[in-house]
Amino acid sequence: MKISNTKYGVILSIPGLMLLLIWVLVPFSYVFYLSFLRYDNISPVTFTGFDNYIRVLTDSYLLPTLKRTFIFSFGSTGLTLLISLILALCLNKIVKGSTFFRSLVIMPWAVPLILSGFLWAWMFHPSFGPISDILIKLHLRDEPLNIYKNPHMAMAGVIVADAWRRIPFLTIITLAGLQVIPGELYDAAKVDGADSFHIFRHVSMPLASRPMLIGTLITLMFSFRSIDVIYSMTPGGGYGKCTYVLGAYLFDYIYEFLNFGVAASAGVLLILLTFGIGSFFIYYTLKK
Amino acid sequence: MKIRNFFLKIVNHRATPYVVCGAIAFFMIAPFIWMGLSAFKTSSETFKYPPTYFPENPTLKTMSEAWSKAPIPTYLANSLIVSLTSTLIVIVAGSFTAYALSQYRYKGSNVALGLFLFTRIIPPLSLLLPYYLILRKLGLLNTRVSVILYLIYLNYPLVVWLLKGFFDAFPRDLIDSAIVDGCSRTGAILRIVLPVSATGVYAIAVVAFMWAWNEFFAPFLFINYDELKPITVGLYYFVGDEYTYWNRMCAAGIYAVMPSLTFFLLAQKYIVKGLPAGALKY
Repeated sequence: MKISNTKYGVILSIPGLMLLLIWVLVPFSYVFYLSFLRYDNISPVTFTGFDNYIRVLTDSYLLPTLKRTFIFSFGSTGLTLLISLILALCLNKIVKGSTFFRSLVIMPWAVPLILSGFLWAWMFHPSFGPISDILIKLHLRDEPLNIYKNPHMAMAGVIVADAWRRIPFLTIITLAGLQVIPGELYDAAKVDGADSFHIFRHVSMPLASRPMLIGTLITLMFSFRSIDVIYSMTPGGGYGKCTYVLGAYLFDYIYEFLNFGVAASAGVLLILLTFGIGSFFIYYTLKK
Repeated sequence: MKIRNFFLKIVNHRATPYVVCGAIAFFMIAPFIWMGLSAFKTSSETFKYPPTYFPENPTLKTMSEAWSKAPIPTYLANSLIVSLTSTLIVIVAGSFTAYALSQYRYKGSNVALGLFLFTRIIPPLSLLLPYYLILRKLGLLNTRVSVILYLIYLNYPLVVWLLKGFFDAFPRDLIDSAIVDGCSRTGAILRIVLPVSATGVYAIAVVAFMWAWNEFFAPFLFINYDELKPITVGLYYFVGDEYTYWNRMCAAGIYAVMPSLTFFLLAQKYIVKGLPAGALKY
Protein backbone atom coordinates (compact mmCIF):
# COMPACT_ATOMS: atom_id res chain seq x y z
CA MET A 1 0.00 0.00 0.00
CA LYS A 2 1.38 3.36 -0.95
CA ILE A 3 0.12 6.61 0.50
CA SER A 4 0.24 9.87 -1.42
CA ASN A 5 2.95 12.44 -0.89
CA THR A 6 0.47 14.81 0.69
CA LYS A 7 -0.67 12.25 3.23
CA TYR A 8 2.94 11.35 3.90
CA GLY A 9 3.69 14.98 4.70
CA VAL A 10 0.78 15.16 7.10
CA ILE A 11 1.75 11.95 8.90
CA LEU A 12 5.40 12.97 9.12
CA SER A 13 4.66 16.37 10.59
CA ILE A 14 1.87 15.38 12.99
CA PRO A 15 4.00 14.33 15.98
CA GLY A 16 5.95 17.58 15.82
CA LEU A 17 2.77 19.63 15.48
CA MET A 18 1.21 17.85 18.44
CA LEU A 19 4.28 18.73 20.48
CA LEU A 20 3.82 22.38 19.51
CA LEU A 21 0.10 22.39 20.30
CA ILE A 22 0.35 20.61 23.62
CA TRP A 23 3.57 21.94 24.97
CA VAL A 24 3.59 25.53 23.70
CA LEU A 25 0.07 26.65 22.93
CA VAL A 26 -1.49 25.19 26.08
CA PRO A 27 0.78 27.15 28.47
CA PHE A 28 0.31 30.15 26.20
CA SER A 29 -3.45 29.98 26.69
CA TYR A 30 -3.03 29.19 30.36
CA VAL A 31 -1.33 32.53 31.07
CA PHE A 32 -4.41 34.37 29.76
CA TYR A 33 -6.63 32.25 32.00
CA LEU A 34 -4.40 32.88 35.03
CA SER A 35 -4.54 36.62 34.47
CA PHE A 36 -8.25 36.59 35.36
CA LEU A 37 -7.74 34.80 38.68
CA ARG A 38 -7.10 36.13 42.15
CA TYR A 39 -4.09 33.96 42.79
CA ASP A 40 -2.01 35.59 45.51
CA ASN A 41 -1.05 32.48 47.51
CA ILE A 42 -2.83 33.93 50.57
CA SER A 43 -6.55 33.60 49.93
CA PRO A 44 -8.19 30.83 47.91
CA VAL A 45 -8.00 31.12 44.14
CA THR A 46 -11.09 32.77 42.65
CA PHE A 47 -12.16 34.42 39.42
CA THR A 48 -11.79 38.20 39.61
CA GLY A 49 -12.39 39.42 36.08
CA PHE A 50 -10.20 42.35 35.11
CA ASP A 51 -9.02 43.19 38.65
CA ASN A 52 -5.43 42.17 37.98
CA TYR A 53 -5.30 44.22 34.80
CA ILE A 54 -6.75 47.24 36.58
CA ARG A 55 -4.17 46.81 39.29
CA VAL A 56 -1.30 46.63 36.82
CA LEU A 57 -2.52 49.43 34.57
CA THR A 58 -3.19 51.83 37.46
CA ASP A 59 0.08 50.97 39.20
CA SER A 60 2.12 54.15 39.50
CA TYR A 61 5.21 52.05 38.83
CA LEU A 62 3.92 50.97 35.42
CA LEU A 63 4.53 54.06 33.26
CA PRO A 64 8.12 54.67 34.40
CA THR A 65 8.74 50.94 34.06
CA LEU A 66 7.43 50.91 30.49
CA LYS A 67 9.49 53.98 29.66
CA ARG A 68 12.63 52.27 30.95
CA THR A 69 11.72 49.11 29.03
CA PHE A 70 11.61 51.08 25.78
CA ILE A 71 14.79 53.02 26.56
CA PHE A 72 16.59 49.78 27.41
CA SER A 73 15.45 47.76 24.40
CA PHE A 74 15.77 50.52 21.81
CA GLY A 75 19.05 51.68 23.33
CA SER A 76 20.48 48.18 23.28
CA THR A 77 19.21 47.51 19.75
CA GLY A 78 20.44 50.87 18.48
CA LEU A 79 23.92 50.33 19.87
CA THR A 80 23.94 46.76 18.57
CA LEU A 81 22.87 47.89 15.09
CA LEU A 82 25.43 50.71 14.91
CA ILE A 83 28.39 48.56 15.92
CA SER A 84 27.23 45.51 13.92
CA LEU A 85 26.88 47.59 10.77
CA ILE A 86 30.33 49.16 11.08
CA LEU A 87 31.83 45.80 11.96
CA ALA A 88 30.13 43.96 9.09
CA LEU A 89 31.17 46.61 6.55
CA CYS A 90 34.78 46.33 7.73
CA LEU A 91 34.78 42.53 7.88
CA ASN A 92 33.39 42.50 4.36
CA LYS A 93 36.31 44.63 3.15
CA ILE A 94 39.05 42.71 4.92
CA VAL A 95 40.82 40.11 2.83
CA LYS A 96 43.51 38.79 5.13
CA GLY A 97 42.57 37.61 8.61
CA SER A 98 38.81 38.04 8.30
CA THR A 99 38.16 34.61 9.81
CA PHE A 100 40.41 35.49 12.73
CA PHE A 101 38.60 38.76 13.43
CA ARG A 102 35.22 37.11 12.96
CA SER A 103 36.08 34.40 15.48
CA LEU A 104 37.10 37.03 18.02
CA VAL A 105 34.05 39.22 17.66
CA ILE A 106 31.46 36.44 17.79
CA MET A 107 32.78 34.98 21.04
CA PRO A 108 30.34 36.90 23.29
CA TRP A 109 27.52 34.98 21.58
CA ALA A 110 28.42 31.91 23.63
CA VAL A 111 28.35 33.81 26.94
CA PRO A 112 25.25 33.42 29.12
CA LEU A 113 23.52 36.81 29.44
CA ILE A 114 23.52 36.40 33.19
CA LEU A 115 27.33 36.13 33.13
CA SER A 116 27.58 39.12 30.81
CA GLY A 117 25.81 41.10 33.52
CA PHE A 118 28.21 39.90 36.22
CA LEU A 119 31.30 40.62 34.12
CA TRP A 120 30.23 44.13 33.14
CA ALA A 121 29.04 44.81 36.69
CA TRP A 122 32.56 44.27 37.83
CA MET A 123 34.17 46.06 34.90
CA PHE A 124 32.05 49.09 35.86
CA HIS A 125 32.79 48.76 39.58
CA PRO A 126 33.67 52.25 40.86
CA SER A 127 36.72 51.24 42.90
CA PHE A 128 37.85 47.81 41.75
CA GLY A 129 36.82 47.84 38.09
CA PRO A 130 39.02 48.76 35.13
CA ILE A 131 36.70 51.22 33.35
CA SER A 132 36.62 53.81 36.11
CA ASP A 133 40.35 53.33 36.66
CA ILE A 134 41.20 53.85 32.99
CA LEU A 135 39.09 57.03 32.86
CA ILE A 136 41.02 58.38 35.84
CA LYS A 137 44.38 57.39 34.38
CA LEU A 138 43.48 59.16 31.12
CA HIS A 139 42.58 62.23 33.22
CA LEU A 140 39.04 62.17 31.84
CA ARG A 141 37.74 62.05 35.40
CA ASP A 142 39.12 63.14 38.76
CA GLU A 143 37.16 60.76 40.93
CA PRO A 144 35.97 57.16 40.52
CA LEU A 145 32.99 56.77 38.21
CA ASN A 146 30.05 55.20 40.01
CA ILE A 147 27.51 54.41 37.32
CA TYR A 148 25.25 52.72 39.86
CA LYS A 149 24.45 55.99 41.65
CA ASN A 150 23.42 57.79 38.47
CA PRO A 151 20.16 56.68 36.80
CA HIS A 152 21.30 57.53 33.26
CA MET A 153 24.71 55.96 33.64
CA ALA A 154 23.27 52.80 35.19
CA MET A 155 20.92 52.43 32.23
CA ALA A 156 23.82 53.03 29.84
CA GLY A 157 25.79 50.35 31.69
CA VAL A 158 23.14 47.65 31.33
CA ILE A 159 22.63 48.66 27.70
CA VAL A 160 26.35 48.13 27.00
CA ALA A 161 26.29 44.73 28.74
CA ASP A 162 23.21 43.67 26.80
CA ALA A 163 24.38 45.00 23.42
CA TRP A 164 27.80 43.38 23.88
CA ARG A 165 26.13 39.99 23.95
CA ARG A 166 23.85 40.77 20.95
CA ILE A 167 26.32 42.31 18.50
CA PRO A 168 27.67 38.97 17.15
CA PHE A 169 24.28 37.75 15.90
CA LEU A 170 23.40 40.95 14.04
CA THR A 171 26.94 41.22 12.66
CA ILE A 172 26.73 37.73 11.16
CA ILE A 173 23.29 38.44 9.68
CA THR A 174 24.40 41.78 8.22
CA LEU A 175 27.64 40.31 6.90
CA ALA A 176 25.71 37.51 5.19
CA GLY A 177 23.49 40.16 3.59
CA LEU A 178 26.51 42.11 2.33
CA GLN A 179 28.28 39.04 1.00
CA VAL A 180 25.53 38.05 -1.41
CA ILE A 181 25.85 41.39 -3.23
CA PRO A 182 27.68 40.58 -6.48
CA GLY A 183 31.04 42.30 -6.92
CA GLU A 184 30.11 43.52 -10.41
CA LEU A 185 27.56 45.88 -8.88
CA TYR A 186 30.31 47.68 -6.96
CA ASP A 187 32.48 47.80 -10.08
CA ALA A 188 29.64 49.16 -12.16
CA ALA A 189 28.94 51.84 -9.56
CA LYS A 190 32.61 52.80 -9.49
CA VAL A 191 32.72 53.11 -13.26
CA ASP A 192 29.76 55.46 -13.00
CA GLY A 193 31.83 57.61 -10.68
CA ALA A 194 30.29 56.65 -7.34
CA ASP A 195 32.49 57.08 -4.27
CA SER A 196 32.37 54.90 -1.14
CA PHE A 197 29.56 56.90 0.44
CA HIS A 198 27.41 56.66 -2.69
CA ILE A 199 28.04 52.93 -2.86
CA PHE A 200 27.10 52.50 0.78
CA ARG A 201 23.96 54.59 0.38
CA HIS A 202 22.76 53.26 -3.00
CA VAL A 203 24.20 49.75 -3.34
CA SER A 204 25.09 48.13 0.01
CA MET A 205 22.20 49.49 2.06
CA PRO A 206 19.27 48.80 -0.27
CA LEU A 207 20.48 45.29 -1.08
CA ALA A 208 21.36 44.25 2.46
CA SER A 209 18.43 46.01 4.08
CA ARG A 210 16.04 43.04 4.36
CA PRO A 211 18.31 40.72 6.40
CA MET A 212 19.38 43.71 8.48
CA LEU A 213 15.79 44.70 9.14
CA ILE A 214 14.78 41.20 10.21
CA GLY A 215 17.93 40.78 12.30
CA THR A 216 17.29 44.13 13.97
CA LEU A 217 13.67 43.20 14.75
CA ILE A 218 14.83 39.91 16.30
CA THR A 219 17.38 41.80 18.39
CA LEU A 220 14.74 44.32 19.46
CA MET A 221 12.30 41.58 20.43
CA PHE A 222 14.94 39.78 22.45
CA SER A 223 16.21 42.81 24.32
CA PHE A 224 12.63 43.90 24.96
CA ARG A 225 11.80 40.71 26.80
CA SER A 226 15.03 39.59 28.44
CA ILE A 227 16.12 40.82 31.82
CA ASP A 228 19.08 38.56 32.59
CA VAL A 229 21.65 41.34 32.33
CA ILE A 230 19.58 43.74 34.39
CA TYR A 231 18.93 41.06 36.99
CA SER A 232 22.59 40.20 37.54
CA MET A 233 24.09 43.67 37.02
CA THR A 234 21.64 45.81 38.97
CA PRO A 235 19.69 43.48 41.30
CA GLY A 236 16.22 44.75 42.13
CA GLY A 237 16.40 47.40 39.42
CA GLY A 238 19.37 49.15 40.99
CA TYR A 239 19.59 52.47 42.79
CA GLY A 240 16.26 54.30 42.55
CA LYS A 241 14.88 51.47 40.38
CA CYS A 242 16.58 53.16 37.42
CA THR A 243 16.92 49.94 35.41
CA TYR A 244 13.65 48.34 36.50
CA VAL A 245 11.88 47.13 33.31
CA LEU A 246 8.61 45.32 32.60
CA GLY A 247 10.21 41.86 32.66
CA ALA A 248 11.69 42.57 36.08
CA TYR A 249 8.29 43.80 37.29
CA LEU A 250 6.72 40.56 36.05
CA PHE A 251 9.39 38.37 37.61
CA ASP A 252 9.12 40.18 40.95
CA TYR A 253 5.40 39.37 41.10
CA ILE A 254 6.23 35.69 40.62
CA TYR A 255 9.32 35.40 42.76
CA GLU A 256 9.14 38.13 45.41
CA PHE A 257 5.45 38.93 45.91
CA LEU A 258 4.09 35.48 44.92
CA ASN A 259 1.04 37.15 43.39
CA PHE A 260 0.55 34.91 40.37
CA GLY A 261 -2.61 36.61 39.10
CA VAL A 262 -0.93 39.99 38.78
CA ALA A 263 2.19 38.33 37.35
CA ALA A 264 0.05 36.67 34.68
CA SER A 265 -1.60 39.93 33.67
CA ALA A 266 1.81 41.62 33.51
CA GLY A 267 2.85 38.63 31.39
CA VAL A 268 -0.06 39.23 29.04
CA LEU A 269 0.92 42.89 28.80
CA LEU A 270 4.47 41.83 27.88
CA ILE A 271 3.08 39.42 25.27
CA LEU A 272 0.93 42.14 23.69
CA LEU A 273 3.77 44.65 23.57
CA THR A 274 6.20 42.09 22.13
CA PHE A 275 3.61 41.19 19.49
CA GLY A 276 3.68 44.81 18.42
CA ILE A 277 7.32 44.35 17.45
CA GLY A 278 6.82 40.72 16.48
CA SER A 279 4.12 41.46 13.90
CA PHE A 280 6.64 43.55 11.93
CA PHE A 281 9.07 40.66 12.23
CA ILE A 282 6.53 38.17 10.87
CA TYR A 283 5.44 40.57 8.14
CA TYR A 284 8.96 41.13 6.82
CA THR A 285 9.92 37.47 7.19
CA LEU A 286 6.96 36.28 5.11
CA LYS A 287 7.20 39.11 2.57
CA LYS A 288 8.88 37.89 -0.56
CA MET B 1 33.22 68.80 -0.40
CA LYS B 2 36.59 69.08 1.31
CA ILE B 3 35.22 67.36 4.39
CA ARG B 4 33.70 64.64 2.27
CA ASN B 5 36.99 64.00 0.50
CA PHE B 6 38.82 63.94 3.81
CA PHE B 7 36.47 61.25 5.15
CA LEU B 8 36.62 59.37 1.85
CA LYS B 9 40.38 59.21 2.19
CA ILE B 10 39.99 57.69 5.64
CA VAL B 11 37.26 55.25 4.61
CA ASN B 12 39.12 54.10 1.51
CA HIS B 13 42.46 53.69 3.23
CA ARG B 14 43.64 50.10 3.23
CA ALA B 15 44.32 50.04 6.96
CA THR B 16 40.95 51.47 8.04
CA PRO B 17 38.94 48.22 8.19
CA TYR B 18 41.73 46.59 10.16
CA VAL B 19 41.94 49.44 12.65
CA VAL B 20 38.16 49.55 13.14
CA CYS B 21 37.89 45.75 13.41
CA GLY B 22 40.76 45.75 15.88
CA ALA B 23 39.11 48.39 18.03
CA ILE B 24 35.72 46.66 18.06
CA ALA B 25 37.35 43.27 18.57
CA PHE B 26 39.08 44.69 21.64
CA PHE B 27 35.73 45.85 23.02
CA MET B 28 34.26 42.41 22.34
CA ILE B 29 37.01 40.43 24.04
CA ALA B 30 37.84 42.88 26.85
CA PRO B 31 35.45 41.17 29.31
CA PHE B 32 37.05 37.81 28.44
CA ILE B 33 40.52 39.23 29.11
CA TRP B 34 39.37 40.76 32.39
CA MET B 35 37.70 37.49 33.40
CA GLY B 36 40.79 35.48 32.46
CA LEU B 37 43.17 37.76 34.33
CA SER B 38 40.97 38.00 37.43
CA ALA B 39 40.64 34.25 37.74
CA PHE B 40 44.36 34.12 38.55
CA LYS B 41 44.25 36.80 41.24
CA THR B 42 43.97 36.25 44.97
CA SER B 43 40.85 37.49 46.75
CA SER B 44 42.72 40.36 48.42
CA GLU B 45 44.08 41.53 45.09
CA THR B 46 40.60 41.80 43.62
CA PHE B 47 39.72 44.28 46.36
CA LYS B 48 42.68 46.55 45.72
CA TYR B 49 42.27 50.20 44.82
CA PRO B 50 43.35 51.17 42.23
CA PRO B 51 42.81 47.82 40.54
CA THR B 52 45.71 45.83 39.14
CA TYR B 53 45.51 44.48 35.61
CA PHE B 54 47.98 41.65 35.56
CA PRO B 55 47.86 39.39 38.63
CA GLU B 56 50.72 40.29 40.99
CA ASN B 57 51.19 36.72 42.12
CA PRO B 58 49.42 34.60 39.50
CA THR B 59 47.89 31.65 41.26
CA LEU B 60 45.93 28.61 40.18
CA LYS B 61 44.43 28.47 43.66
CA THR B 62 41.40 30.54 42.65
CA MET B 63 40.52 28.20 39.83
CA SER B 64 40.83 25.15 42.06
CA GLU B 65 39.01 26.84 44.97
CA ALA B 66 36.06 27.71 42.76
CA TRP B 67 36.03 24.14 41.49
CA SER B 68 36.14 22.49 44.93
CA LYS B 69 34.40 24.95 47.27
CA ALA B 70 31.30 25.35 45.13
CA PRO B 71 29.72 22.28 43.54
CA ILE B 72 30.96 23.40 40.11
CA PRO B 73 31.40 19.85 38.71
CA THR B 74 27.80 19.08 39.70
CA TYR B 75 26.52 22.32 38.15
CA LEU B 76 28.38 21.59 34.92
CA ALA B 77 27.09 18.02 34.82
CA ASN B 78 23.53 19.29 35.29
CA SER B 79 23.94 21.89 32.55
CA LEU B 80 25.34 19.24 30.25
CA ILE B 81 22.52 16.77 30.99
CA VAL B 82 19.66 19.22 30.47
CA SER B 83 21.23 20.93 27.44
CA LEU B 84 22.18 17.75 25.61
CA THR B 85 18.88 15.96 26.33
CA SER B 86 16.69 18.88 25.31
CA THR B 87 18.76 19.54 22.19
CA LEU B 88 18.58 15.91 21.16
CA ILE B 89 14.80 15.86 21.59
CA VAL B 90 14.14 19.07 19.67
CA ILE B 91 16.48 18.05 16.85
CA VAL B 92 14.92 14.60 16.45
CA ALA B 93 11.33 15.82 16.74
CA GLY B 94 12.07 18.94 14.73
CA SER B 95 13.89 17.30 11.81
CA PHE B 96 10.91 15.21 10.71
CA THR B 97 8.43 18.06 11.08
CA ALA B 98 10.70 20.55 9.34
CA TYR B 99 11.41 18.07 6.57
CA ALA B 100 7.73 17.39 5.98
CA LEU B 101 6.90 21.10 5.98
CA SER B 102 9.72 21.73 3.54
CA GLN B 103 9.48 18.83 1.08
CA TYR B 104 5.97 17.38 1.40
CA ARG B 105 3.70 20.40 1.44
CA TYR B 106 0.02 19.93 2.04
CA LYS B 107 -3.03 22.10 2.53
CA GLY B 108 -2.46 23.80 5.83
CA SER B 109 1.28 23.23 5.97
CA ASN B 110 1.73 26.99 5.61
CA VAL B 111 -0.55 27.51 8.58
CA ALA B 112 1.59 25.08 10.56
CA LEU B 113 4.69 27.01 9.54
CA GLY B 114 3.06 30.27 10.51
CA LEU B 115 2.29 28.76 13.90
CA PHE B 116 5.97 27.98 14.44
CA LEU B 117 6.91 31.52 13.45
CA PHE B 118 4.24 32.95 15.73
CA THR B 119 5.48 30.87 18.65
CA ARG B 120 8.90 32.41 18.27
CA ILE B 121 7.61 35.85 19.16
CA ILE B 122 6.01 34.79 22.47
CA PRO B 123 8.21 36.17 25.27
CA PRO B 124 9.44 33.19 27.31
CA LEU B 125 9.35 35.32 30.44
CA SER B 126 5.56 35.51 30.16
CA LEU B 127 5.24 31.73 29.98
CA LEU B 128 7.49 31.12 32.97
CA LEU B 129 4.55 31.22 35.38
CA PRO B 130 2.24 28.82 33.46
CA TYR B 131 5.12 26.38 33.08
CA TYR B 132 5.91 26.67 36.76
CA LEU B 133 2.30 25.86 37.71
CA ILE B 134 1.97 23.04 35.17
CA LEU B 135 5.23 21.45 36.28
CA ARG B 136 4.19 21.81 39.91
CA LYS B 137 0.91 20.04 39.15
CA LEU B 138 2.87 17.27 37.42
CA GLY B 139 5.08 17.01 40.51
CA LEU B 140 8.15 17.77 38.43
CA LEU B 141 9.53 20.82 40.24
CA ASN B 142 13.03 20.28 41.58
CA THR B 143 13.87 17.76 38.90
CA ARG B 144 16.11 18.12 35.88
CA VAL B 145 13.15 16.96 33.79
CA SER B 146 11.35 20.25 34.51
CA VAL B 147 14.20 22.23 32.97
CA ILE B 148 14.45 19.86 30.01
CA LEU B 149 10.72 20.27 29.32
CA TYR B 150 11.00 24.05 29.49
CA LEU B 151 14.03 24.05 27.19
CA ILE B 152 12.09 22.00 24.64
CA TYR B 153 9.53 24.82 24.52
CA LEU B 154 12.28 27.42 24.26
CA ASN B 155 14.19 25.80 21.40
CA TYR B 156 11.66 23.80 19.46
CA PRO B 157 10.04 26.51 17.28
CA LEU B 158 13.40 28.08 16.48
CA VAL B 159 14.93 24.73 15.55
CA VAL B 160 12.02 23.76 13.29
CA TRP B 161 12.21 27.12 11.57
CA LEU B 162 15.98 26.92 11.03
CA LEU B 163 15.83 23.29 9.88
CA LYS B 164 13.00 24.08 7.48
CA GLY B 165 15.02 26.85 5.87
CA PHE B 166 17.92 24.46 5.68
CA PHE B 167 15.96 21.60 4.08
CA ASP B 168 14.49 24.03 1.52
CA ALA B 169 17.96 24.33 0.03
CA PHE B 170 18.38 20.54 -0.12
CA PRO B 171 18.62 19.29 -3.74
CA ARG B 172 15.31 17.59 -4.47
CA ASP B 173 16.87 15.51 -7.29
CA LEU B 174 18.93 13.62 -4.76
CA ILE B 175 15.80 12.54 -2.87
CA ASP B 176 13.87 11.72 -6.05
CA SER B 177 16.63 9.59 -7.55
CA ALA B 178 16.95 7.64 -4.31
CA ILE B 179 13.22 6.95 -4.40
CA VAL B 180 13.40 5.91 -8.06
CA ASP B 181 16.16 3.49 -7.09
CA GLY B 182 13.72 1.77 -4.76
CA CYS B 183 14.38 3.62 -1.52
CA SER B 184 11.28 4.41 0.56
CA ARG B 185 10.56 8.03 1.43
CA THR B 186 11.44 7.42 5.06
CA GLY B 187 14.50 5.50 3.99
CA ALA B 188 15.54 8.48 1.87
CA ILE B 189 15.39 10.71 4.95
CA LEU B 190 17.47 8.37 7.06
CA ARG B 191 19.98 7.28 4.41
CA ILE B 192 20.29 10.32 2.18
CA VAL B 193 18.96 13.54 3.67
CA LEU B 194 20.24 13.32 7.24
CA PRO B 195 23.76 12.08 6.39
CA VAL B 196 24.20 14.66 3.62
CA SER B 197 22.93 17.51 5.78
CA ALA B 198 24.72 16.38 8.94
CA THR B 199 26.89 19.49 9.23
CA GLY B 200 23.95 21.83 8.87
CA VAL B 201 21.87 19.94 11.42
CA TYR B 202 24.91 19.93 13.69
CA ALA B 203 25.23 23.72 13.41
CA ILE B 204 21.57 24.17 14.31
CA ALA B 205 22.00 21.73 17.20
CA VAL B 206 24.90 23.80 18.52
CA VAL B 207 22.75 26.94 18.46
CA ALA B 208 20.01 25.12 20.39
CA PHE B 209 22.58 23.73 22.81
CA MET B 210 23.90 27.23 23.45
CA TRP B 211 20.44 28.60 24.14
CA ALA B 212 19.80 25.73 26.53
CA TRP B 213 23.15 26.13 28.24
CA ASN B 214 22.62 29.86 28.72
CA GLU B 215 19.08 29.70 30.12
CA PHE B 216 18.86 31.16 33.58
CA PHE B 217 15.37 32.07 34.80
CA ALA B 218 13.61 28.73 34.32
CA PRO B 219 16.06 26.63 36.37
CA PHE B 220 16.33 29.52 38.83
CA LEU B 221 12.59 29.29 39.44
CA PHE B 222 12.08 25.53 39.13
CA ILE B 223 15.00 24.20 41.16
CA ASN B 224 15.88 24.78 44.79
CA TYR B 225 18.49 22.13 45.42
CA ASP B 226 22.15 22.81 44.78
CA GLU B 227 22.75 19.33 43.40
CA LEU B 228 20.27 19.92 40.55
CA LYS B 229 21.15 23.48 39.52
CA PRO B 230 22.82 24.21 36.18
CA ILE B 231 25.91 26.39 36.04
CA THR B 232 24.09 29.64 35.12
CA VAL B 233 22.16 29.47 38.40
CA GLY B 234 25.23 28.10 40.16
CA LEU B 235 27.06 31.38 39.49
CA TYR B 236 24.93 32.86 42.27
CA TYR B 237 26.87 30.72 44.71
CA PHE B 238 29.58 33.38 44.54
CA VAL B 239 27.30 36.35 45.08
CA GLY B 240 27.44 37.15 48.78
CA ASP B 241 25.25 39.37 50.93
CA GLU B 242 28.25 41.42 52.02
CA TYR B 243 30.49 41.14 49.02
CA THR B 244 31.10 39.00 45.99
CA TYR B 245 34.33 37.08 45.54
CA TRP B 246 34.93 38.36 42.04
CA ASN B 247 38.02 36.27 41.41
CA ARG B 248 36.11 33.07 42.13
CA MET B 249 33.15 34.34 40.14
CA CYS B 250 35.48 34.86 37.18
CA ALA B 251 36.96 31.39 37.62
CA ALA B 252 33.44 29.94 37.70
CA GLY B 253 32.58 32.08 34.68
CA ILE B 254 35.42 30.49 32.74
CA TYR B 255 34.09 27.04 33.61
CA ALA B 256 30.60 28.18 32.59
CA VAL B 257 31.69 29.55 29.23
CA MET B 258 34.20 26.93 28.15
CA PRO B 259 31.87 24.10 27.06
CA SER B 260 29.45 26.17 25.00
CA LEU B 261 32.24 28.35 23.60
CA THR B 262 34.21 25.29 22.49
CA PHE B 263 31.20 23.76 20.74
CA PHE B 264 30.40 27.12 19.22
CA LEU B 265 33.86 27.87 17.85
CA LEU B 266 34.12 24.35 16.41
CA ALA B 267 30.82 24.74 14.59
CA GLN B 268 31.40 28.40 13.77
CA LYS B 269 32.01 27.87 10.07
CA TYR B 270 28.66 26.14 9.60
CA ILE B 271 26.73 28.48 11.89
CA VAL B 272 27.97 31.57 10.10
CA LYS B 273 26.98 30.04 6.79
CA GLY B 274 23.74 28.32 7.77
CA LEU B 275 22.12 30.53 10.38
CA PRO B 276 21.45 33.63 8.26
CA ALA B 277 19.93 31.49 5.50
CA GLY B 278 17.68 29.61 7.91
CA ALA B 279 16.78 32.56 10.07
CA LEU B 280 15.78 34.88 7.26
CA LYS B 281 14.39 32.73 4.53
CA TYR B 282 10.82 31.76 4.11
